[in-house]
Amino acid sequence: MTGKVIIIGGGVAGLQAAATLRELGLTPVIVEKTTHIGGKLNDWHKLFPSLTPAAEVLAELKGRLDGAEILTGTEAVEIAPGSVTLTDGRRMEADAVIVASGFEVFPAELKEEYGYGLYRNVYTTVDIERMFNEGRVRLRDGSAPRRIAFLHCVGSRDEKVDQCHCSRVCCITGVKQAMEMKALFPEAEVYNFYMDIRMFGPGYEEMYREAQERCNIHFIRGRISEAGETQDRRVQIKAEDTLIGRPLKMTVDMLVLIVGMKAGRSNEALARCPGISLRPSRFADPADSFCGNVCSGAPGIFYAGTVTAPKNVGESINEGAAAAVKAAEYIRSKG
Amino acid sequence: MDILQGEIFRYYDHFVIPFNIGVWVLLAVIVYKYVRWFSRLAPADKSAVGRGLLSRRVFGAMGEVVSESLLHRRIFRVDPLLGYMHMSLALGWFLLIAVGWVEASIHLTEGFAPLHAHVFYKYFAPAPTGATAEKVISNLMDLLLLFVLSGVALAWFKRLRSRALGMKRTTKHVLGDKIALSALWLIFPVRLLAESAQAGLKGIPSFLTGNLGGWMVSAFGEGFVAGFSVVAWWVYSIVLGVFFVSMPFSRYMHIFTEIPLIFLRRFGLRSGEQSSAFDHFQIESCSRCGVCIDPCQLQADAGIDNVQSVYFLRDRRYHNLSGEVASNCLMCGRCEVRCPVGIELNTLRLNSREKFSALPADDRYAYMAGSDRSSGSGRVGYFAGCMTLLTPKILRSMERIFDAAGEQVWWADREGGVCCGRPLKLSGEIEAARRLMDHNSQLFSNHRITTLVTSCPICLKVFREDYDLGSVEVLHHSEYILRLIRQGRLELGRQDAVYTYHDPCELGRGSGIYEQPRDVIRCAGRLVEASENRSDARCCGASLANLEIGEAAQQRIAASLSAHYKATGADTLVTSCPLCKKTIVRSFGDVRDISEVVAGALV
Repeated sequence: MTGKVIIIGGGVAGLQAAATLRELGLTPVIVEKTTHIGGKLNDWHKLFPSLTPAAEVLAELKGRLDGAEILTGTEAVEIAPGSVTLTDGRRMEADAVIVASGFEVFPAELKEEYGYGLYRNVYTTVDIERMFNEGRVRLRDGSAPRRIAFLHCVGSRDEKVDQCHCSRVCCITGVKQAMEMKALFPEAEVYNFYMDIRMFGPGYEEMYREAQERCNIHFIRGRISEAGETQDRRVQIKAEDTLIGRPLKMTVDMLVLIVGMKAGRSNEALARCPGISLRPSRFADPADSFCGNVCSGAPGIFYAGTVTAPKNVGESINEGAAAAVKAAEYIRSKG
Repeated sequence: MDILQGEIFRYYDHFVIPFNIGVWVLLAVIVYKYVRWFSRLAPADKSAVGRGLLSRRVFGAMGEVVSESLLHRRIFRVDPLLGYMHMSLALGWFLLIAVGWVEASIHLTEGFAPLHAHVFYKYFAPAPTGATAEKVISNLMDLLLLFVLSGVALAWFKRLRSRALGMKRTTKHVLGDKIALSALWLIFPVRLLAESAQAGLKGIPSFLTGNLGGWMVSAFGEGFVAGFSVVAWWVYSIVLGVFFVSMPFSRYMHIFTEIPLIFLRRFGLRSGEQSSAFDHFQIESCSRCGVCIDPCQLQADAGIDNVQSVYFLRDRRYHNLSGEVASNCLMCGRCEVRCPVGIELNTLRLNSREKFSALPADDRYAYMAGSDRSSGSGRVGYFAGCMTLLTPKILRSMERIFDAAGEQVWWADREGGVCCGRPLKLSGEIEAARRLMDHNSQLFSNHRITTLVTSCPICLKVFREDYDLGSVEVLHHSEYILRLIRQGRLELGRQDAVYTYHDPCELGRGSGIYEQPRDVIRCAGRLVEASENRSDARCCGASLANLEIGEAAQQRIAASLSAHYKATGADTLVTSCPLCKKTIVRSFGDVRDISEVVAGALV
């Protein structure tokens, strides 16, 4: 009994799991497939609803690691109770494994009708965060947008791309970015095209109201059916305003696709482990949705964060702590 | 009266009763069916039959009857052993009847010999004379019996190991078919026993029944064999009777339906978008051989096992077709190209859907009136179609191609337009489809185009088959692009890329366009073929014709398809249908429409 716990994924859930394990006197090893830890938090600018800089949260999580071992640039290709095999063929033994491998951003190119990667001024929410981080939000020709449309549910609740689940955090992301854009370009008209607005978290609904009442952001209930590019590189969108039941056409300078969460590709490798099962959405299916929501069907393998379903940053961090406690209990019970 | 009785009962024994009941029931039902179907044919079809009967096409039909109903040539193409099995049963039995008739006619010279006297000839046969002709014919009959028995043995074997006969899956039969099938399988072994026993008793020499009968007599004694033969003849007559009675109500009706079908087809009769009396000839020609099951991707990839053409036709024939079965079909046509009977499976599927559809409300399509959002002008019209508008890379590539070729183009629907109508047709909404088609026809005519190009094979098919566009030439963009290249109006630089090509159902099997896209691709790079291609190509799974399966099943089909293409080692999968492209891209990676490949290779 070495007290060693392998954590797959160095995102927020994995970092919190490592911190909690250290507090419990165990030995976590983080396996991170990219070159640095922090996961998608590295790509985000400010977090909803408080607009806390992502870097601050990340710095705090990193500060709690207490010397936990970190392996970067390598991936778990096989996960079994008590062992993990890495890309280079190395097999690591451990007393428990916490899978915190996260999600993937839905590839917007699959919705070709929106022209991402084809039209010059179609962006994703990930692009917008990156531009905010770079400190320069501009159209491709360098000018400031005067009319911006956000489109919700790109790759969420969309049977046509086999993404039937709700990604949860995109509604509030769209509202947050709309407000940030409005703050940056006060003269611009900002539209949100949605089918439902699901404000599930504390402070979200308030933010949504503020967006409408104070920021004068327009919310139109109806998905955009297709987009085209005009001669002057603007984006023409076709939608239906389903509240008044009329089709509408609008030309905008910038179309932002609010991309959803797709199950991580690594879940397929995980699913090869006996006892592990995936949901139809390909997110991992925990032992149960209540007392066992960080446990898997395999002994000694635990889940934290968006490996099991779309979650926000706070929820993922909580699960990191919960999974660490469960792993510690498991190791203790084995003696 | 005495003479008459003597005549009839000269060749009579009680055991012939089951056989006679069977034959007369069979005959009565078939005559009833024929009269019903022929009398209900549309007047135009009736006159086509009248003209056909007086034409040379009769000879062609007779030839086809021999090659298909007897030789089963088309099944040989599926699998030689399977072909042999069907041929031995059909041709073998036919020859047994024909040669047996000759044999009986030669020897049963005393008075009137009824049908059963021919069928049970060995029983009624006079004592052998030892003449050479007699020996030849009885040996020939033995040989034919052996031929049929080899087929029966194969049929039994097929139940155990269908793969040996080229079939992964075989038909799940209903009770009626099982009864008929069991009777059929018993007929020839029982006939062998009955004829052998009789040959042994009468001392009729021949290599099979003669020798076997001789052995039976020597092994078991004459008394036992005599008793055995009575039982055997009764059983033989009963299984024949059971088989004949079950024939018109089971799969074996195909024997009597395929022959008139072959003639009617040669006379130009076809099933149409609305069901008709001719459909019966096609539906009851299905022998439920099950050749349609293996090519069905719903079976192979989605595990759906009750909707394949064999089951669809069966349900439709017995009037218990559900909307679910009618609608659960990709209409990819893979089974249709393999159907040994050549039944128009897609057309029949389609015209069965109408009864599940509803008439559109009068003002449902009022919004179309006078709407014309077309732009540009030119003799060449381009119709993108809904799916191309959802795959703007194709639209953009077409713009570049038209530009490069210096073509003046009238854009029918670049800013939005009315659907071509085929999706509605595929769901049986014929009247609604008609309204959209009328609108588009008027639009094309208003703009006086001479050529209509579309990049969607779904639109192409309906433009070609159901629109009346007069002299307007309708081209798929692959045909149009190839023409531009050949005319020297497009110059492509050949690249190192390795492409493989996916034949869209509506373009390949649907419209017979296989080579033009390939010729275009070869101008841009190297083309490697997947093992299942052209008329055997698989469906992407997202066919608009399937109204039942969900996204998950579609994606399972697409994933299996992608794996098939990945095995070619090609970097890029090229197709020429926006719907296929959109479906396959999720599991393959680099999927491009042919126009994208061309636009990317423009010099």
